[in-house]
Amino acid sequence: QGESVITEIQDWNRYLGDGVVSQPYGVPSRYEANVVRRDVEWLTASRESSVSFTPLHELDGIITPNGLCFERHHAGIAEIEPSQHRLMINGLVDTPLVFTMQDLMRFPRENHVYFLECAANSGMEWRGAQLNGCQYTHGMVHCVVYTGVKLKHLLGEAGVKTNAKWILPEGADSAAMTRSIPLEKALDDCLVAFKMNGEALRPEQGYPVRLVVPGWEGNMWVKWLRRLEVGDQPWHQREETSKYTDLLANGKARRFTWVMDVKSVITSPSPQAPIRHGRGRAVISGLAWSGNGKIKRVDVSIDGGRNWTTARLDGPSLDKALHRFYLDIDWDGSELLLQSRAIDEAGFVQPTKNELRAARGENSIYHNNGIQTWYVKADGTVENVEVS
Amino acid sequence: AGDAGKGERVYKKCAACHQVGEGAKNRVGPELNDLIGRTAGSVDGFKYSKAMTEAGAGGLVWDETTLDAYLESPRTAIKGTRMAFPGIKEADDRADVIAYLATFSKQAAAPAPAETKTAEATPAPAPTAAVPAADAAVPTHGVFHLGRAATADEIAAWDIDVRPDGVGLPEGRGTAADGEVLFTERCASCHGDFGEGAGRWPVLAGGRDTLKADRPEKTIGSYWPYLSTVYDYVRRAMPFGDARSLSDDEVYAITAYLLYLNDVVTDDSFELSRENFTSVKLPNEENFIADDRSAEPHYAGKVEPCMKDCKAEVKITMRARVLDVTPEAGKENEGTTKVD
Repeated sequence: QGESVITEIQDWNRYLGDGVVSQPYGVPSRYEANVVRRDVEWLTASRESSVSFTPLHELDGIITPNGLCFERHHAGIAEIEPSQHRLMINGLVDTPLVFTMQDLMRFPRENHVYFLECAANSGMEWRGAQLNGCQYTHGMVHCVVYTGVKLKHLLGEAGVKTNAKWILPEGADSAAMTRSIPLEKALDDCLVAFKMNGEALRPEQGYPVRLVVPGWEGNMWVKWLRRLEVGDQPWHQREETSKYTDLLANGKARRFTWVMDVKSVITSPSPQAPIRHGRGRAVISGLAWSGNGKIKRVDVSIDGGRNWTTARLDGPSLDKALHRFYLDIDWDGSELLLQSRAIDEAGFVQPTKNELRAARGENSIYHNNGIQTWYVKADGTVENVEVS
Repeated sequence: AGDAGKGERVYKKCAACHQVGEGAKNRVGPELNDLIGRTAGSVDGFKYSKAMTEAGAGGLVWDETTLDAYLESPRTAIKGTRMAFPGIKEADDRADVIAYLATFSKQAAAPAPAETKTAEATPAPAPTAAVPAADAAVPTHGVFHLGRAATADEIAAWDIDVRPDGVGLPEGRGTAADGEVLFTERCASCHGDFGEGAGRWPVLAGGRDTLKADRPEKTIGSYWPYLSTVYDYVRRAMPFGDARSLSDDEVYAITAYLLYLNDVVTDDSFELSRENFTSVKLPNEENFIADDRSAEPHYAGKVEPCMKDCKAEVKITMRARVLDVTPEAGKENEGTTKVD
């Protein structure tokens, strides 16, 4: 009498498993094969200029594994041999300089945990609930620990002239990505990073070196960073004029909308992570973040926003990083309308999607941080919905 | 031999740049009719890389074997090829697409005789030692004395950005009429002959007065604030997959043609140059404003949110329109929005 997995001797209990170094670079269990980045093919014209999404619904804690960090390329993944890589600083500096990777590794290093969110994350939801899964609605965010050097050290080495106000980072890929960044931010907390979660940057994250612009939209975190120009005016590059500007209902468009606003999402249960255990104890798990700093509080509603309970923030609470929250409930098997609402340390409260639409219309594409609703049905399946 | 039917699907990867079949023309890449048996780099009127021309002069002829090696890893097989395509990893896919292309060739694909010269993989260059001689002088600049001075030529090679005030524009000129020829050859396969866009590739022209519409069309003429961005972006990143291949004059000509397509100039003899560049204004320049998100009603007050009985009733108003988008489900759903 009993479960055969207990009463019968299993293969793994009798026979030897693989030896050490059977995987020189370890990979997840074969039973985790569904925990992968995914893309939505109809979104973009080609995979070289496209995006893939982090499987947030399968992850926990605050750190994203390197191989699951969402990707966004504008011209595919540049493959750069590190000894062939150079980082140049030019423009309004005393001495234009060229650094090798070896040079960069000789500056004082720092480690910081930061989230990176694409400004278009949740952008497909402006007109209404569209995609079933937080991987798709919220998966253009990840959070890792970066090792790198402060950008201010590199700029200081070249000697920034007194009339300088902006920098222009540029990538070495065939999109030669560029964005104008105010010098004040560059000298504050920007990093030039070569490691993520302790190992070299992955090629798709900018190997051998990328810019880190804490709390600001991901497009500015230039990958395969090869040049930093210092200037006295912004350059108005393609990615800060025709893209990454927020069109409002009145036809005006906001530009230089850099900060990622306070935001949260319940990662489980969610459409790709239904409740499979029936009624009784259940863990509601989610993520919150803000480009303004730390998360102060997250409230969770199970009735579509009528009543709210403050969730439990767990784990490290770090500046401009993902925060993990939990609400442990007894599920009575009835339908739920799950929502989460984050408040950051600057006091900003995550708005509803309808509040955002009232202020901006539906054509903004970027910076949709509205409250997400998941409709949990009696059978435990979950759908992306919006509520009154 | 591969399956031409399956190869037709594989060919979709190629179709953005190469045409084949009746009326095929050179686009970003050369047309592919009669490819089997063709000497590499030999299509009239197509501007090949030096490497491809030399490979043809050296006797490289396209057949099943040589195409297989080239398609597996173009840049390994012919170092310096202009074809930016990363290659087809699966041998079966390569065989299938070659079989498909063979259906457009008078000479059927036959396995090459063993002595046929195939493109040899060029080994990656040995890493150059970055270790300075032990007695090399430590630089004096900065705090940490790291890095070395950039040369003027190095800065000129990389510093190609252009600002709205014209800073960074190179010498040069080009007419809209010249631009039309270039655009048709180098840009139209993705952006359409008149900038109308093919498939999901960006629309470049039209869309005037649509910014308040339900589906705004954001083009150079309807949305972009500055012409300098057009010049800068085309010069640094276009054509897609063949960046930096246009001369400065060609970029002027294409930029002039884009002005013409957007009715900013109406005469195709219009010549754009460094001298007259900043006199051209785009129509939507005044409609960009500073970031004022923090003044929006839901943010401005930083109000402590309601916790209990916040609304009388809750109704579901919208449900996900696209169901089961998980790619493994094998469904081809069409969404209504796009990410850019």
